[in-house]
Amino acid sequence: MTATETIDEGMFQSDNPIIELNRMLVNYDLTPNQSKVYLFLSKIGVKTASEVSKALKIPRTETYHLLSTLQQKGIIFSIFGKPTKFNAVGIEESLSILVNNEKNRITELEVGKVSIIKLWNIIPKYGSNENEAQDNKFQSLQGRNSILVKLEQMIKESKENILVLGTDEDFKKFYFTEFSELLIKTKSDLKILLDHSGDIPPIFENIPPKKIKKIDDKNREDFCFIIKDDSEVIFFISNNQVKDMLAVWTDSKTFVTTLRSLFSLMWRKSHFVNETGEESILGAEITFEHRLREIEQEKIILNYLQENFERVEILGGNKK
Amino acid sequence: MTESNKQKEATTSLKILIVDDNEQITKMLTTFLELKQHICTVANDGKEGLELIKENSNDVVLLDLAMPEFDGYAVINDLEDNNLLKDRKIIVFTASTITQDELDKLVDRGVNSYILKPIDIDTLLSKIIETANS
Repeated sequence: MTATETIDEGMFQSDNPIIELNRMLVNYDLTPNQSKVYLFLSKIGVKTASEVSKALKIPRTETYHLLSTLQQKGIIFSIFGKPTKFNAVGIEESLSILVNNEKNRITELEVGKVSIIKLWNIIPKYGSNENEAQDNKFQSLQGRNSILVKLEQMIKESKENILVLGTDEDFKKFYFTEFSELLIKTKSDLKILLDHSGDIPPIFENIPPKKIKKIDDKNREDFCFIIKDDSEVIFFISNNQVKDMLAVWTDSKTFVTTLRSLFSLMWRKSHFVNETGEESILGAEITFEHRLREIEQEKIILNYLQENFERVEILGGNKK
Repeated sequence: MTESNKQKEATTSLKILIVDDNEQITKMLTTFLELKQHICTVANDGKEGLELIKENSNDVVLLDLAMPEFDGYAVINDLEDNNLLKDRKIIVFTASTITQDELDKLVDRGVNSYILKPIDIDTLLSKIIETANS
């Protein structure tokens, strides 16, 4: 057994942090094997393709392909010689390169969007169906990014109201995204219902407290949804077996109306986050005390009106 | 009722907006105020009330605090956000168990005055006239 093989066996064992690194690098548009080859070279140093192939137990042809792709991405480089050897660019520089690659790709996609739309408009629509159903569409969304894109679109397009219901845990996934920024900027009437009993969660800390209420129902099942203009809703599906976030978007009137009613009911029963404990207690007592005072007020006005009408009737009777 | 108020009541017809979700109160209050030759507009929810307050076609507004969904606080917050609170004559008309401190805060923010339910009908009318003429 060579030294490289011994090192490699230790490197990719389950308790080694390199496994976690390997998983994290996949988020930077690397495949698991590309990430593995990069980490191998960056920790072991200069190696030939054959050595990489043997050490990582990846077929030789695939190894060549992986090395070529990593070179194109700019995070490994080759050293001329016979045979050709490879080495990795430092981790910090490599991460910057990968991030920039992604940024450039996004810019290219943005530029390409205009051309695609132009071409799309040139092509006539065949077999258009005027009676196509305009609502009751359902779209399943998997993964944080696809959910976020839909959420951002809903918030940007909203003109009337945005209703958000969920737990601090649900929204943690959207830290460091534009989600809260868009909520702050929205001109729509924003209402957020959280079951967080302490301070306002960091993601909502820049949103005025008068737009946020906390749910008092301790026995509430965890669910999370966001409604836009009473016309569209995204509701999240918690599934422990699926690692990615799952959600369903729909414009089904039945769904939206049902969730809207649920939200209204809970909003009515909840208290603003900045209410003091005393105010909350007062709020809880409101129905009884409040109703009594209202009835008393009704009685006062009614008595006045009765007396007045009796007087008018008497005066009317005298005239006759 | 003071003599001057009686005179004002007799001579001035006020446009009064009542924002209250209690339909019994709004109906009876409207009948009472119309008997006194005033013109009443009613909004039974905060959102509608807010729109009418923004239109600024009333001399004075009676605003309930505890209303479902869009309550009196939400109306006040919205008016404050739009710098309209101090331009409108608003009387908070509430049955809520609200502290004096909280009421004072509302006045500091720009609400003209407050009336706690239940109140006798003559005092209510004087307060409306007094606020409208302030």
